[in-house]
Formats: sequence, C-alpha cells, structure tokens
Amino acid sequence: MEKEMIAMLLAGGQGSRLYALTEKLAKPAVPFGGKYRIIDFPLSNCVNSGIDTVGILTQYQPLVLNEYIGNGQPWDLDRLHGGVHVLPPYQKASGSDWYKGTANAICQNISFIERYNPKYVIILSGDQICKQDYSDFLRFHKEKDAEFSVAVMEVPWEEASRFGLMVADETDRITEFQEKPKEPKSNLASMGIYIFNWDILKKYLLEDDADPNSQNDFGNNIIPNLLKDGRRMYAYHFDGYWKDVGTINSLWEANMEVLDPEHSGIDLFDENWKIYSRNSGMAGHHISATADVTNSMITDGCKVSGTVKHSILFDGVIVEEGAVVEDAVIMGGTTIRSGAIVKHCIIAENVTINEKAIVGAMPTAEENGVATVASGVSIGAGAKIGPNAMVRNNVKDGEEEW
Amino acid sequence: MVSSNANAMGIIFPNSYDTLVPELVSKRAMASIPFASRYRMIDFLLSSMVNSGIDNISIVVRQNYRSLMDHLGSGREWDLSRKNGGLNIIPPFSERGIKVYTGHLEALSNILPLLRNSKEKYVILTDAHIAANIRFDDIIAEHEKSGADVTVVYHNADLSGRNDYTRKDTDNFTYTLQLDEENRVKEMHINAQDLGPQNHSMNIYIIDREFLVTQVEDATVRGKIYFERDVLLPNLNNFVVKGYEFKGYVALINSIKSYFDENMALLKQENADALFEGNSIYTKVRDDNPTRYTSTAKVKNVMAADGCVIEGTVENCVLFRGVKIAKGAVVKNCILMQDTVIAENTTAEYLITDKNVTVTAYQEVKGTASYPMYITKKRVV
Repeated sequence: MEKEMIAMLLAGGQGSRLYALTEKLAKPAVPFGGKYRIIDFPLSNCVNSGIDTVGILTQYQPLVLNEYIGNGQPWDLDRLHGGVHVLPPYQKASGSDWYKGTANAICQNISFIERYNPKYVIILSGDQICKQDYSDFLRFHKEKDAEFSVAVMEVPWEEASRFGLMVADETDRITEFQEKPKEPKSNLASMGIYIFNWDILKKYLLEDDADPNSQNDFGNNIIPNLLKDGRRMYAYHFDGYWKDVGTINSLWEANMEVLDPEHSGIDLFDENWKIYSRNSGMAGHHISATADVTNSMITDGCKVSGTVKHSILFDGVIVEEGAVVEDAVIMGGTTIRSGAIVKHCIIAENVTINEKAIVGAMPTAEENGVATVASGVSIGAGAKIGPNAMVRNNVKDGEEEW
Repeated sequence: MVSSNANAMGIIFPNSYDTLVPELVSKRAMASIPFASRYRMIDFLLSSMVNSGIDNISIVVRQNYRSLMDHLGSGREWDLSRKNGGLNIIPPFSERGIKVYTGHLEALSNILPLLRNSKEKYVILTDAHIAANIRFDDIIAEHEKSGADVTVVYHNADLSGRNDYTRKDTDNFTYTLQLDEENRVKEMHINAQDLGPQNHSMNIYIIDREFLVTQVEDATVRGKIYFERDVLLPNLNNFVVKGYEFKGYVALINSIKSYFDENMALLKQENADALFEGNSIYTKVRDDNPTRYTSTAKVKNVMAADGCVIEGTVENCVLFRGVKIAKGAVVKNCILMQDTVIAENTTAEYLITDKNVTVTAYQEVKGTASYPMYITKKRVV
C-alpha cells in the first residue's frame, strides 16, 4: 500500500555534549519534562500530523531506546501496515557498515522506504524539543511545488553564524546555503527537518553514496548538491517553540521553560497536541504534611516530604523531610535524603543523594554552571558537589567534587 | 504450561454491591468506580491476576457497563490483549433462556459453555468492591496443597459500624467465617453483626473448574441463585471448604462513607505503600502531562495523579487526573474525580465530586466528615 509521506527519524547521535547523561543511552532517549524522553516529541508530532510510518535510525547505545520504543503502541504507532520501526545498521551481501553520516543512514535504508513507495519523505531529528505540525509543512511543500523543503527558524542576527543558514528570495525559494558562516547573509536557521520528494531524495542519496569524497551528510553534501543543480528548494518558516537540547545548559533551560508555559511557549498541557510517552505505571504522587511544593511539576510515583521549588521531578522521585530541591531537574527513581540540598542541577535516573549532601549552587555573577550527576551514582552523606561538576562515579561521605 | 503462568482462569462480577453506592454507580458499575487518584476498582483485581500469571479473565457484566467497557478496551493496558484467553467481557445478551442474572450461580449458568470449554484446572471467582494487591499464585498453591474443593479468601478486620445493614436486599449479603484449626470453614454467617475483629470473606473463591461446572449444572436445574447461600453453606460438611487469610492491605467499598474513608486512608504513606509496593497496578493510560504546582500553590497531605494544575490551597485531598484548582481556592478533605474544576476563591470541604464537576468562583461548598457531600457527574455548582 502506498503512503503519501513517511518519516525517517535520525536517532543515532551520541549527544557527546551531554556527557554523563548519554554515557549509557542515546540522546533521543534522554528523559525530559517530567515524564517524557526527547524522542516523544518528534514521534508525537508524527502521529498528530497523520504520519503513521516512522523509521528510527539508531546506532549509538540503542538498548534503552529500543526498549522504550517497543512496538510503538504508546504513540499509536503499532500498525498493521507501517507503524514504527527501529533501523540499526545491518549486514548486507556486499558487506556491512556503520552509518557514516546522516545521509548514509537513510541511504542504507532505501529498501525500507521503498516498501511503502511514498511520494514524500520527511527527515526528522531525534534531539530537538519542538511541537510542530508536519502536515502544514507538507501543505507548504506541495503549494510551492517544491522538490525539497527545509523548516527554518528566524534567529537573532548576532547568533546567526552558529547555524546552518538558508538564504531565500521573497517567494521563500532558497538561493544559497551557508554552514556556520562568519558573515551571515540570512538569519533563517535550518532546523534539520526536511521534506523531500522521494524520487529526488533517492537520486541524490545514490549519487552521494557513489562519491568517495563525500561525508554523506545532508547539510554538507546533499543540500549543496541540490543547490548546485538548481532544484526547486524552499524554506518553510516555523515560529513555534524549538530547542536543540544538545548541551547540559540547554537541556536544563528547556526543562525550566516547561515550568513557565505562559511565557516560554512550550505548553505540554495542550489537549489538541498531546505529547505521548510510555507510562511508568506508578501510583499517584504523594505530597506529605511536611512538604512545601511551589512552581514545580511532579508526576506519578513521587513522594515529597521536603521543600521543592521551581523544579521538575520525574516518576518515582523521593524527597525526604528536610531536603531542599530548587531549580533542579531530578530524573526517575532518584532519592534525595533528609537534609540534602540540591540546586540548579540535573540529576539523572536512580541516583541517591544522601543525608546533608550538597549538590550544585544557585548561579552567581562568576559561577552559573549546572551540576550534573550521572545515573545510578550515590552521593555520600555530607558530600559537596560544585556547580560545574560532572559526577560519573560514586562520591564518598564528606568528599568534595568540583 | 510454563510455570510463569498459573493454571487458573478468572471470573469477575463487576456489579456486585452496586446498590450500596447508588450515587457512584448511577452511570457505572462498582468495578469502574474511580479509586486512589488514578485507578478504577477493577484495576486492582485485574492487575493482581495478571501479575500472578492468570491471563484468561472473563468479566460477567449485568448493567451500567458502558464506562467499564470504555475503561477496559481490548485489555491491552493489563497485557490481556491475547490470542488465547485474554480479556473477555460478557454482556447480558437477550436470548431465550438467558436472563439478566441476580446471583452468581445464574451468571455462571449463563456462561456454562465457557466454563466447560476452558483448559485451566482452577477458576477464581471474585467481586470488584475490594482493592488489594493479591498474589493469586500463592493462594492457588495453597489451594492445591490443601486438597480443598473450594478455598475462600478472607481478611481479619473489625468492620463493625462499616456494613450498612439497613439495606436488606439480597444483593448485598456479606459473609463471616468460622474456621477450625486446619483452616476448614465450619460455619459461614450471612450478614453477621458481631462486633470486634472477624474473619470477613473477601468473596474471592478458588475452585476446581470441573467441580464448579458440576455445581452450576446442578444449581441451574434446581433454580439456585446464590453461590454462597445455596451451594457453599448447605454443604460445609460435604465439601472441603478451606479459608485462606489474606494479610495484605484491603480497601473495601460498601457505602459512600467507606468510599470517602478508603480514599482518605491512602493519604497515609504507609497505607499507600502497603497497597502499591510490590506488584504494579495497571490502568488505562490517559497521557496527561505531569501535575503542575504554581508559585501560589500551598499543598499539604495530598495524593494526586498527573494532569492537575494546582494554584490554590489544598489539604488532605485525593485528586484524580486533570483536576484544576484555581488561585485563592481553599480545598480541604475532598475527593475530586477526573477533570474537576474548583474556580478561584472558592472554599470546598468534605466533597466527593464526580467526573467533570465545576464549582464556580467565590462559592462555599461544604459537607461534613460523617456525611461528605457528593456532587454528580458534569454538574456545575
């Protein structure tokens, strides 16, 4: 059966700038916003946009991601025809190869795409927090009679040189592409989300694959080649919430923005555009008589007896009486014992912060780091973790780490 | 069968004791009454069975079962969407010779072919007015070891003052047990009013399937209605009926007051831990976002599900999914079901609001501890 458009979701990235958080899992599987993982956003966008076939390209540490996706049921992507498929690199008669670049990952799965014989393919990135209606993007692509479209965001001119930029004329037709230029000619940053006509994409993937000097990357190779050939390329303006959560600071910031939907623009409470996730199956959370909870998000399985301010607690977090949590992102299954002070930091899953330990500090003029504790770590009683610390191993009682 | 699966099938009667809580069941069955902030009563029995390796479960409904059907769907959330067995909802269809049942024997007689054709050795019969985290595999093992014809699961508790004996209808029999030193049931009392701790039947029975088929066939011929009154009681000397004491946490709903009290009891962390720690209780997933507490929230002693937005003061409350409490509202000792809205500057005490209730701004709505006020589904106050 033919599909009008299927999605290919690039989820193989290591997310090396998230350091301790992505040692054991791929970046798209990093927990976000109290009960989600990053990949929930593109997957939910797909299903809310009417896309029912998604290939997820995995490579780096795929275990957590594979288990999380399962048969795709939480996103309503368990379909008889189509649905969600995890696509790791595989061995072929001609040999086997890791995915060498973003374009190569798609190229190695041409046969997957051909099973559905789509008219269009949308390429998505598994490391962005964004609520976007891809059907509106497709409408634009069709209206322009485009062969390739890219979603772009207007960014401040002074930051423009950090991005891949699209220079477009008044009809939104792309005339030039600049990758992180010193002198930007445009402030339209590529979001890394593309719609291709499938015949065009296939042609360019195969040509690119035959080029031994290519890095097999969309930004560096495919898009410049399309431009060179004068293909019909258009820039689709997106002005909703979009955040690349590639760094500890941006991940922390995006989580904090969830707490302020009125101003930040990331509203998880939107009934018309739900973000789906795999359910933890835990009971409702408890706020005890000794607790003080303000300006926070709390989910199933949490037990709070201490003070929680401006923080996000994931499923099953325990905050004991006398503990203080402020400006913090505390991932699932973590316990914060009595008297511990946890501020301005990201604590990964299943961490124990013992009595009177201090983790992180509120930012000052000199120091505004986000302390990070990797999953499964135990922070000893009375230990002190500085605001720039990146803790990967257990910290003994009373020790300090900066 | 592989040892992870129990050699038993489950049969649940979702409408038992409906008439004890007429307010709560006006649009639903006992089994689909919302309980403990994100569950329905039946979730506890279904999850207990599934966690014990039972994956062939039939629900014999009598009436008001639309909300139950909606809740259960294909049974997938309980891992019961199976090719073999799985979840089987049996509605009371109209057919000559088949009528809407009164007692369990009649219900079982309606499903005799199912009982005859199943492969499991044992049958578990249960009502749905109890929330507990039960290891049925332990009970089945004990039943097997004891060589009993029937095992009755009971709990020892002081329920004096809890049962409402002013209701004399035969739908609402309760049973207390007298056991000998080998746990054999010697006497079974209907609606006994003895004070102090008693062995109260939880109305959960483990029976050899073929033995049950024989009893139901016999009962159908003789026009018997109630399993306990008409089969067990007269035969305590003929059959080996053993008691199995369930020592875990039991929440029991047999009046609107007990509904209020059993929800409130879970605000004590040790009670909630006793009910939920151990095996997971599954329920229909609603994909709500986490609950949000704003800077004006003041919250003490609350159990809440996802999807709530709390801007006001909340004390001693159980909040179901999607409850909104606006700024300046003061809500104490309330049970607010799904999507209840308490608007700004309203005071609410001792309320049970059903789904989608809205209490408008600047109101004062109060029940009392002994008689919590119930507000019906979708009502705007």
